[in-house]
Amino acid sequence: MKVLKVPARTIAAFIVPCLLLYVCLVFVPILVSFFTGLLKWDGLTSSQFVGFGNFKEMFWHDPVFWPSVRRTLLYAVASMLEIPLCLGMAILLNRYVRKGNTLVSIYFTPVILSVVIIGQLWKTIYNPTSMGGMLNGVFVSLGLESWTHNWLTEPAIAMYALYLVSLWQYFGYHLLIQYTGVQNIPDELYEAAKIDGADGFKADRYITLPLIVPIFKISIILAFIGSLQAFDLVMVMTGGGPAHATDVISTHMYNSSFLSFKYGYGSAIATFLVVVCLLFTGVINTIFNRLERKFN
Amino acid sequence: MVNRKMKQTATIALTAVMALSLAACGNSNSNTGADKKDNAAPNAATGSGNSTATNAPSDKKVTLTFQNIYPDPATPNYKMIRELTDAYMKEHPNVTIELDTLNTDQQKVKLKTQAASKEVPDITIVNPAAQMKPFVDAGLLAPLNDMLDQNGLKDTYQKGLLDYYSFDNNVYAIPDGNNIEVVYYNKDLFAQAGIAAPPTTFEEMLQDVKILKDKGITPLAIGEKDSWTGSFLFMNILLRTNGGPGFLQDVIDGKKTFEDPAFIEAVDAFQALVQAGAFPDGATSIDATAGGNIFRTGKAAMWCIGSWETGAIDASPVAGKVGAFQFPTVNGKGDPNEFMLAPGSAFAISANSEHLQEAKDFLNFFGTQYPKKQFELKNAVGIGQKVDGDLKAAGYSDLAVNIAGLFNQVKGGDLAFDNTMNPATAQVHLSSIQNLFVQKMDSAAVAKEHQAAFEANK
Repeated sequence: MKVLKVPARTIAAFIVPCLLLYVCLVFVPILVSFFTGLLKWDGLTSSQFVGFGNFKEMFWHDPVFWPSVRRTLLYAVASMLEIPLCLGMAILLNRYVRKGNTLVSIYFTPVILSVVIIGQLWKTIYNPTSMGGMLNGVFVSLGLESWTHNWLTEPAIAMYALYLVSLWQYFGYHLLIQYTGVQNIPDELYEAAKIDGADGFKADRYITLPLIVPIFKISIILAFIGSLQAFDLVMVMTGGGPAHATDVISTHMYNSSFLSFKYGYGSAIATFLVVVCLLFTGVINTIFNRLERKFN
Repeated sequence: MVNRKMKQTATIALTAVMALSLAACGNSNSNTGADKKDNAAPNAATGSGNSTATNAPSDKKVTLTFQNIYPDPATPNYKMIRELTDAYMKEHPNVTIELDTLNTDQQKVKLKTQAASKEVPDITIVNPAAQMKPFVDAGLLAPLNDMLDQNGLKDTYQKGLLDYYSFDNNVYAIPDGNNIEVVYYNKDLFAQAGIAAPPTTFEEMLQDVKILKDKGITPLAIGEKDSWTGSFLFMNILLRTNGGPGFLQDVIDGKKTFEDPAFIEAVDAFQALVQAGAFPDGATSIDATAGGNIFRTGKAAMWCIGSWETGAIDASPVAGKVGAFQFPTVNGKGDPNEFMLAPGSAFAISANSEHLQEAKDFLNFFGTQYPKKQFELKNAVGIGQKVDGDLKAAGYSDLAVNIAGLFNQVKGGDLAFDNTMNPATAQVHLSSIQNLFVQKMDSAAVAKEHQAAFEANK
């Protein structure tokens, strides 16, 4: 504080409005939703306090809950595995492409498209052969009829079809973050390394990777949280169906609250989601702090 | 330099726009403020003993929100709601009616969300019986008895129809129709496949499905992403295997369980239909509107749906080629004159509406003009109100006359699953039926799943 040479009152004046908003819009709803998670409530009529009944049902009796958690976590892992790929691509772009910005902008385009549009677009790609689906059409014209599937309605593969769309959409987003990170590493370091005989991938190993760790961490956390909250794409493309085969935590929460009229139960799922988000953000942060310390 | 100048201009323009929009916000706010005050005045007057004030809607500027489920410009309902609201606004220049138009499923969710925060739109859509009960119990809907007595609106409805929307002798909504489930079929496609007559038994229907499938024609159109569509068809089979209506009511009353042979038989019959390839590929990712379009564009031979689609079919490319038949008997059981009954979605008014009187006045106008307008738009089949005029003479299609004839044969029937059971059980049922589209299941296990859900959500 003293370093800034600004009176505490001024600092408070700038912080308080934001802090208040944040508390009201983030912390209060979380607490309220935790509380409603303890109720048996249809969202309309009077409620009944059931303690941890909703949580017990969720953990032990709900056949949809754990599979949806598994799908969500798998999705999170897949989108985190995408980040190293983005980083590699960013490094290559930075080294071999003179005006990489144009390319990065092109990769970024899917991100600015609305998820609803993306969903409809990929639905026409995934459609069954009889409805003129593009992907199946390509397989048929290559003589690979056995590869055709009803991508969005076969329970065993529908979820992977959704993962792919999402990974495709956010590839450009993480590429942009990594690319900016790579560009911000000063050229002098590479020049100095070159004199010392470290060039190409050796320079990446000893200069780029250690310096990119903080940026990498941001991408990982964004990818992780983003995929835990995955909702819109699933809703547009399959609605969680067929028969819950593509339900993730948030669609299950939505269906419970708004279609089954179990508002309290939906809130319990929401609470679980918040806790998981906080927990994993903490874990990821700790891991990366260790990494950063190791490199410095 | 140019760049910097452009930036400056852009900044100034942006600031100007923001200032304007802020001003606009301010304006509308003060307007609504004035609105409230104006409205408070006549109410205060009533309090002091002037009871006539409430019956005559005031001349104050009023905006009513009308949430509705008629989003498809190709359908007669879309025109109906716009023409009726425009006509009302012309007669009442002080009233503005804003349409909040959504798909059926979206509207259900939006209303639920709004209800949770007690912000129900002035006029909205609810569904009959079990589906609207929670809203009535929560005191969110206004009783409409007084409104129904005006201009003889109540007497226009078919006898007994309003019962589906009444609780404790109060009517809380007026229906947009009273329909039955029928099977539409495309006569051209049937002829193309060499099928002479529509099936009268389920076994014949399965046979026709296989013939159509072999000819490369989709036998039955459906949009099972909206899972009520499959359930509606399934329930018709159950109505047959049970030998008559009342299965769900018997379950609720504890006289039967879902593990009853009638239910298991219905699941087996339904699976036979799926296994025969009756439905389009990827049916569970097709929404209801798109599913209907498969039939309406002549790509499917049959469509098992409510008679409310008659007007839309007559306005589509397959108009004139379509006939309808009653759902056949299953394993020799059931009576084809018993139908899945579908008392329509219904218009209700928010109990907390700031303009309750105006909303009632509008809905009364809407309800009385509704049959005439629908008749004019050739959409009067299955509207649940008495219509003056002869269909045939007015140029209605053979299909419409045919369907109107089926109404005269109705000997009773059942309501849809989600109109009878509580929402939580209904959701389990809907996804269980959706699952049958993609996986062969043991029918006893399906029955068990239903029973477990029913017991857990009693």
